[in-house]
Amino acid sequence: MAKTLVIQPVTRIEGHAKVTIQLNDAGNVDTARVNIIELRGFERFCMGRPVEDMPRITPRICGVCPWSHHLASAKACDAVFGVTPPPAGAKLRELCNSIAYMEEHILHFYVLAGADFLLGPDAPYSVRNVIGVLQAAPEVAQRVVKVRHMCAKMLETLAGKAIHPQAAVPGGFSKPLSKDERDKLRKQADEALELAKFSIAFAKENVFPKYLDVVKSLAVINTGFIGTVKADGALNLYDGNLRLMTPSGTYQDFPYDKYTDYIAEHIESWSYLKFPYAKQWGEGFSMDTDGPKGVYRANTLARINVCDYIDTPLANAELEEFRKNFGRPAQLTLLYHWARLIELLYNAENAIRLLDDPDITSLETRVKVTPRAARGVGCTEAPRGTLIHDYETDADGLVTNVNLIVGTTHNNAPINMSVTQAAKSLIKDGQYDQGVLNTVEMSIRAYDPCFSCATHRLDGKLSVKLDIFNADGKLVDTLAN
Amino acid sequence: MADEFEPLIIALCCNWCSYAGADLAGVSRSQYPPSIRIVRVMCSGMVHPNLVIDALTKGADGVLMCGCHPGDCHYQEGNYKAEKRAEAIKLMLPDFGIEEERFRLEWVSAAEGARFAQVVKEFTEQVKQLGASPYKQ
Amino acid sequence: MAARLAEEWFAICGGCEVTILDIGEPLLDVLKQVEIVHMPVLMDHKLFGQTGEDAEMAIPAADVGLISGGVRSDEHKKLAQEMRKKCKFLIALGSCACYGGIPALANTFSTEELLEKVYRGCVTTEKNGLPCEQIPTLTDRVYAIQEVVPVDAFLPGCPTTPEMVANALIALLEGKPLPPLANKSVCDECPTRREKKAVSILKRRFEGAEFVPGAPLTEMRCLMEQGILCHGPATRAGCGGSEGTPRCIRAYMPCEGCFGPLTEKANPMVDMMGALSSIGLDPKQIPDRAATFNRFSGAGRLRPIPAKR
Ligand code: SF4
Ligand code: SF4
Ligand code: SF4
Ligand code: FES
Repeated sequence: MAKTLVIQPVTRIEGHAKVTIQLNDAGNVDTARVNIIELRGFERFCMGRPVEDMPRITPRICGVCPWSHHLASAKACDAVFGVTPPPAGAKLRELCNSIAYMEEHILHFYVLAGADFLLGPDAPYSVRNVIGVLQAAPEVAQRVVKVRHMCAKMLETLAGKAIHPQAAVPGGFSKPLSKDERDKLRKQADEALELAKFSIAFAKENVFPKYLDVVKSLAVINTGFIGTVKADGALNLYDGNLRLMTPSGTYQDFPYDKYTDYIAEHIESWSYLKFPYAKQWGEGFSMDTDGPKGVYRANTLARINVCDYIDTPLANAELEEFRKNFGRPAQLTLLYHWARLIELLYNAENAIRLLDDPDITSLETRVKVTPRAARGVGCTEAPRGTLIHDYETDADGLVTNVNLIVGTTHNNAPINMSVTQAAKSLIKDGQYDQGVLNTVEMSIRAYDPCFSCATHRLDGKLSVKLDIFNADGKLVDTLAN
Repeated sequence: MADEFEPLIIALCCNWCSYAGADLAGVSRSQYPPSIRIVRVMCSGMVHPNLVIDALTKGADGVLMCGCHPGDCHYQEGNYKAEKRAEAIKLMLPDFGIEEERFRLEWVSAAEGARFAQVVKEFTEQVKQLGASPYKQ
Repeated sequence: MAARLAEEWFAICGGCEVTILDIGEPLLDVLKQVEIVHMPVLMDHKLFGQTGEDAEMAIPAADVGLISGGVRSDEHKKLAQEMRKKCKFLIALGSCACYGGIPALANTFSTEELLEKVYRGCVTTEKNGLPCEQIPTLTDRVYAIQEVVPVDAFLPGCPTTPEMVANALIALLEGKPLPPLANKSVCDECPTRREKKAVSILKRRFEGAEFVPGAPLTEMRCLMEQGILCHGPATRAGCGGSEGTPRCIRAYMPCEGCFGPLTEKANPMVDMMGALSSIGLDPKQIPDRAATFNRFSGAGRLRPIPAKR
């Protein structure tokens, strides 16, 4: 009997989405889609605002990764004004980024996605959540809550406000770090590192081995990847070149302000969210799970795949072990969780390295800026993937044009593909229950998507490009405005 | 409408000069339109823009703000402040969809009873031209 | 018996939910005393039944309901009504829910302009032969929760503070009334030095404040008097929590008004224009006054600018 299943809302992710699964007469999956059901329209109402206000407005796109928006925006402002922040300014920004990453990765692993692994995907829904985790593993939960809270307090020390901060300004950072504050933070960073080390050891022992079968079969797809690396190929989350990797592992590096040469966005009528794809590969766009075209992924697994190495010792050792097990690029979707824990470790090490850097307490944290008519692109790696802010201003420094591509948007196509794969492999002959449906959702959670981020827009005026494909996936028409 | 439109105008007069001026106009029986409701404030400098906007969005058709002549303010600089605020008020009126001409700042001394009557007459005419406040329905 | 808690989020960023987690260790105690019956960010209760087969969306009955985010779609509206129906005590969490928040900046655009964009996104419908009804339609503007259903308490701020959330929840658990919102402005909690006179003309906000690094904030001149637009005078106090000092000021940055207007009825634009002119600054220089001063309170206060008659 043909019918439509709706999972709404998709839970334990950030923001709003639902899954619509269409079953055919035989009770098998015809189509499965993730519908993004919200819009807020940031690109519209940012126009006309003084560009220096952008780093304060855009974090409201997402309260889970406000720092990523804050920093991408501040970097776009630097570019608009044509300035480079002094070393202390840049390092304070990067330090905040690393602390915010820890907070976020801990949140996702333990609070949002963790319940699936710690309690099992089939556990009753009423306990399959952080409170269930709290009861199952009270000591771990307590430690997690404590360290997360400590990270928030560290950000307050650095920037006054942990969520929706304002300290990254065009040209640098508003608040120098005193030596006393640095010493306090340094101790806290040690504690965070301990939790990071514990987390990955804990997961390697108790979580991943148990679910290796699931990892190898659920939501598996083959795609390319995008991430940021330094000139020497080392992982970096604050600044560097973009690296676009094909499914087979070949790659190309390019400066992020050239992103429009490499990426285009596709629109589908059933989602408010666009589908970016690698236009540079010249194969068009298709979400066919067996032979996708132009599809690449972002976020933790992508970054771990594209980088040549990690320049902090503990995280690099983990990376080498990971590569030995899963190769490069690793394609299994649930490995996002594993990659996330490697990044957690990197960020703890990186925070310590930055706090030990004598530059960090320099009083020179910002340079003067003067408005001009210009375009500026800022890019950072948000926890959810490559984040691009692209502004144009008039001679007074008022915003005339905005384009934003957020981390989750890059993963729109792969998420849809993973869900399709998961639904098709799990739902057969009309048989399904809530455990099955939750497992479908798990394939979404792996990407740690943030649909708050993704739905910041009400289709802006710019560069909307519409590709129309015929039934065999051939491009028949392209509309652009 | 059969009757002629009689606007409702709020006059905010400072205690030391303008209110005395309005008083004098009354005592000396200078004729001025009945449209006016006088509110005594201690100084024009204490009239918050909110007061004016509130009046205009809650039923008044016009607001007249009166203070001592520059240099004469009982509190030294109140009326300079009032002048700056009046500019701010004028700037904001269009944001509320209110015509700028519904608001006016005037200096009236305690001796200027006749002038007060004259100002009120003129301002009433001006507001009459505009008709009822867009907030009055 | 544990109190039952339901939470929903509408046009949000998720920051207010993260704020709940930022309560820190006291959160663990609170969690022991509540039973969360619906909260998409943390638990898997679904709206249309666990396997998605119900026709009507439903939320279980709860003692306390929290809503973050303003109303942006017809579905939010329905959910707000459902929350009101099922929750004995309903709290608007964060400035988005209280006053519309940043997303309500969109209210300065006319409905037509916004809808045009949205419908254009659906033009492909015919071409691909797919229904648009898998996605909800947008409301004509962003509404604060209380514009749609009555609300029992407000916790403003963008985001609000962990302390405020914790205190509210603890009060409710103890059956006590919620602590009242601060009845003063951010300036009242700001330690900077004020002389009621600007020492500079109005500057753009990319210019940094003058301060002595490491010296206490009491030695810094009020930012507004330094010519840096600060929304402190027209913004409700409370963001500093138990420490007091407003959060942005701690980073030598001006307040941008995230705690919303001083009172339910106040008009932040008028208050700010008054404050600017009182210390001798020229308010003409502010671009897009209405949106700047109502950055967080656009729900009932921002409209497309009326055309001149
Ligand atoms: S009030 Fe601020 S933090 Fe809370 S949901 Fe709205 S934008 Fe996010
Ligand atoms: S205007 Fe700003 S800096 Fe000045 S006292 Fe108020 S909050 Fe503090
Ligand atoms: S200082 Fe103002 S903008 Fe900053 S957190 Fe406090 S209320 Fe919000
Ligand atoms: S007392 Fe008359 S204006 Fe100040």
